[in-house]
Amino acid sequence: MDGRSPLEILIEEGEQINPAILLAEEFMRRDAADLLVAEEIQRAEEILYNARTEIDLIRRQVTAFERSPAHPSPELPLGF
Amino acid sequence: MSAALGLAISHPLSFDERLSKSIEYLSYKARSHDANAAYDYVSAIVSEQQKYALYKEMFPKEWSCSRASLYRRGQYEKYSERVNELFHLINERCFPLLEFAHDDPESEFEHFAIPPLNVDLCCEEIYFDNLRTSYAAGLIFYFPDEAWEFLNERLKVSRGAFPEINSDPHPNVWNRKSGSLLGELLRLIDHSTGNPWLDSNYCQTADWYSWDRETIDELTKEFKAANEVFERLGCLDEQIEADPKKMLSALINFWNNGRLPDQRRVKRKRRWRKIQ
Repeated sequence: MDGRSPLEILIEEGEQINPAILLAEEFMRRDAADLLVAEEIQRAEEILYNARTEIDLIRRQVTAFERSPAHPSPELPLGF
Repeated sequence: MSAALGLAISHPLSFDERLSKSIEYLSYKARSHDANAAYDYVSAIVSEQQKYALYKEMFPKEWSCSRASLYRRGQYEKYSERVNELFHLINERCFPLLEFAHDDPESEFEHFAIPPLNVDLCCEEIYFDNLRTSYAAGLIFYFPDEAWEFLNERLKVSRGAFPEINSDPHPNVWNRKSGSLLGELLRLIDHSTGNPWLDSNYCQTADWYSWDRETIDELTKEFKAANEVFERLGCLDEQIEADPKKMLSALINFWNNGRLPDQRRVKRKRRWRKIQ
């Protein structure tokens, strides 16, 4: 750890929409009778690969987050 | 709205197809847009597009005449009506693709297995009455007691009238170049023909095949070849039934010594009959 709290790390992470969501939207607007050519299939497969990588990464982070032990806060929240 | 849905007027889609496309779009939009759902959706589109391309390439006339929807789900509900049409065309004209998926609308065909055409000698009970005479005769090397009992009943031949059978066959039995029907029969029974339709059985893990032209063409060719093997056995059936003593002696001699009588080398007639 570099001294940053988990919340700070989370806030500083880049935000993007998973590429599969964008491609799904694009495909939805296509006419299925206009068959995809080989280059388009290849592009879709690359996007699927990147999308899966991102999904797996987030899944691992969530799993790690769930395993993190609870730490008491040094400050007492108001109302307690 | 049609422009937003990509339903430009220039596309020659029927009203029915436009409606199906719109319904699919709206049902997709109504779902939660999580990455997993999008991933599954894109994967399904890519898979269907690859099958459409295969359909168009393999059956261009049927593709151009087809009225099956590219959007509505078909009998196998993971696929559009058009892809279902491709499955049925392959099933009718190439090989039995739908054998394993007969009544299951949730079947997936991203990778598919093929049903064995040979008799399963591994775990299933063997019903000799359902076998071809030649196949039953070949089983004297694998299930001697049952096979001789059957042959005795069917052809009136007894085990004692023939030479002892070696425990292992002569290496010539596995030589595919000999063109011998006796060799073809023994390799068929041993499930070592090199043909996936004949060498697989229900006990082993199935081979999974993918959707590409080369695989479909190869399976079609091998399915035809497998049927021709059974067709050729019809000739051997007749020879065994006509002279069981002579033919069984020749078969045992081939197993023990690898020698073929000249007249048995190649005698192939065209005739179709199923093994069971």
